[in-house]
Amino acid sequence: MTALVTLEGVTFTYPGADRPALVDVSLELAAGDVLVVTGESGAGASTLLLVATGLAPRVVGGRLTGARRIEARRCGVVFARPWTQLTGLCPTVRDEIAFGPASQGLPREAVLAAAERAMERLHIAHLAGREPAQLSGGELQRVVVAAVLAVEPEVLGLDDPAAELDPEAADALYDLLPAIAAAGTAIVVATPDLERAARVATRAVALEAGRIVARGAPADVLGGTEVAGIARAAGCPPPFPLDVPALLRRVSR
Amino acid sequence: MIGYVPGHSLLHRAHPYTTLALAGALLLGAFALTRPLEVWLLVVAAAAFAVAGGVLRASARPALLLSLPIWVLLFVLHGLLGADPRMTVGPVSLSVPGIARALVLGGRLTAIVLGFLTALATASPHRLVEAMTAGGVPFGRTFLLASTLTVLPRMRERTTQILEAQQCRGLRLGGSPLARLRALVPLALPLVLGALAEVDEQVLALDARGAAGGVRRTALDPPRDSALQRALRWTLLALVVAAYAWKFWSMRG
Amino acid sequence: MSGCDVRVVGVRYAYGEQEALRGIDLAIGAGEQVALIGPNGAGKTTLTRLLVALRRPSAGRVTVGDWDVAGKRPDEMARRVGYAFQHADQQLFARSVEDDVGFGPRCLGRATAPVQDVLGELGLRPVSGLHPYDVPAPVRKLVALAGVLVMEPCVLVLDEPTAGLDRAQRERVVAALRRRAAGGVTVLAVSHDLGFVAEMADRVVVMRDGRIAEDRAARELLYDRGALAALGLRPPPAVEIGLALGLTGQPVRAEEAIAALKGSRWRERQL
Repeated sequence: MTALVTLEGVTFTYPGADRPALVDVSLELAAGDVLVVTGESGAGASTLLLVATGLAPRVVGGRLTGARRIEARRCGVVFARPWTQLTGLCPTVRDEIAFGPASQGLPREAVLAAAERAMERLHIAHLAGREPAQLSGGELQRVVVAAVLAVEPEVLGLDDPAAELDPEAADALYDLLPAIAAAGTAIVVATPDLERAARVATRAVALEAGRIVARGAPADVLGGTEVAGIARAAGCPPPFPLDVPALLRRVSR
Repeated sequence: MIGYVPGHSLLHRAHPYTTLALAGALLLGAFALTRPLEVWLLVVAAAAFAVAGGVLRASARPALLLSLPIWVLLFVLHGLLGADPRMTVGPVSLSVPGIARALVLGGRLTAIVLGFLTALATASPHRLVEAMTAGGVPFGRTFLLASTLTVLPRMRERTTQILEAQQCRGLRLGGSPLARLRALVPLALPLVLGALAEVDEQVLALDARGAAGGVRRTALDPPRDSALQRALRWTLLALVVAAYAWKFWSMRG
Repeated sequence: MSGCDVRVVGVRYAYGEQEALRGIDLAIGAGEQVALIGPNGAGKTTLTRLLVALRRPSAGRVTVGDWDVAGKRPDEMARRVGYAFQHADQQLFARSVEDDVGFGPRCLGRATAPVQDVLGELGLRPVSGLHPYDVPAPVRKLVALAGVLVMEPCVLVLDEPTAGLDRAQRERVVAALRRRAAGGVTVLAVSHDLGFVAEMADRVVVMRDGRIAEDRAARELLYDRGALAALGLRPPPAVEIGLALGLTGQPVRAEEAIAALKGSRWRERQL
């Protein structure tokens, strides 16, 4: 499987910063991956997302050294706050989602078709005529994901996408990711929500002060979940079960 | 009420360029006219403009609030302190040319403010963007213009939120003028800083949806223009040019 | 300062035509730790706004200790009630984190304030000299919370205090609240993070459609699968483990689950 994004020894420093945000990072992202990136606040997970999707340094500024190859034609990104990702100009959800394809200069019919497809994928066709300002956080974030998917990116980055959502909406958002990956998109998610990440991740990477300190299967890297913590403290040896079903498989009376 | 108000009036249905041309004609015309009668005919025209937009009552209040302090200043400066000849109204002696001057300056202000508020209330940012997109204007410029139109309602919302948050930290509103001035900092700074941070996020999000591409955007639903409206816009331009020509000719003569 | 009690009697509130609160009666004793949960639009945030005089009820009465909120302004209520908003960015403005945290006490005219202590509690000492907007969003949320804690109110009202925080940050918030609880401060937290609710609440009040639907001991509600499912919530990990393994003592907090696991007859399955 060809890698859509390859980073080799990448170091990235934000403009005006005295320390690099990413140090000597190497990784690959292929179609079908759901790569979860974790780390404490400021460890570089969000930065890695911006670098992997090409937004840094192009839009953000800063200096990047090392080798980066992005074979994808288009990358999409979803951020934590739904309302700052809207154009603020579109009267309906359909218009908002059509914004991306319209920006690509596609003919009108193709733009509307792309918007319909994206709404179908996210099961939000019933919201098509609604005003974005009237929607709940969870609905709005789905609109944002649809708006990003409407340009059919090959790489999709999500930065703590459920931070502002209630638990039901958060679950629903993460549950969308495996299907999107299965359709051929490479997904990278930066998030402190290890419980939900563990449910959808195919691979994981942990960052500390800009460096990758662990990588591999989710079970090996995401040991910071609540259940894993409880299991570890109760004397369970590694690898720690990440969720209750995994815990049940490990213990018996 | 400052900002776009949805509606079905003549102006709402007109092409956004026509609405802007009318407001622009009021602005430019105001400075070309020099006599009180002419200026106040323009004010009547501005009021007619507001009626055509169905927003006379909505615009009247903010227009009054904005211009009232200046009216008072004008009458004091020119009416009371102006040159001879004078006339007596009750206990007060007023300067005749001074009154005329105040009427001209005040009238100009009123016409411009009414025109501006009407245009703001009836030109939907979305339709303006569609019109500019259909006309081939690059998205960066259209977005810049459209965002300035939507900035006021957003700022109002955020101001309320900030007021509440700072009050809950003990900030007292009101009090001496010095206290009010000092209170501005914890109110204005979060507004500006927060707005800048949001713009940062929005730029990243929209870039990822192709907003910055050099491709010509597709207009999905461009507002309908008509030969009549185009003729009207050209006529307005001609009228404004004529007004300035007359002004300079009568100044020379 | 030790806690005040909070009493809400027959309170109604409407946004124009829409009734957001339809007759709320709630009594929170001094020093109680209460979580307020419920679906979006239930009226939780509206209710909390009434406690700090940001909204006036159309009927009923709200008192905090011996103060009737009706006669007070929000900046006066700030002397007794610390309100932590869900979005931190609406209040941060000073040149440095430390400066911003000290803003509240300065407004209240306090000569001293435990700024350094609170910064340490929430792990903010490393960033205390930075500009608030130069730190990541979750850290800004902690800065805003610090700004409230430092005013040493007798009642704390928190709106989604753990949204967007990682585990270490959540643990710091829980520890800070437990310390205040030990000191008798009354806490009311709106949250859908049931793990957080399990760690800090003795009592859970459920709101639905502008009314109080349930008011129960936290331990009881967290083990009521049906009630949680009706709210679209899943039990926190400790409870899920307790239920799945039938652990004695019905653990609700992480350390209880750990103790119960250790003390039980569960053994690791032979792999």
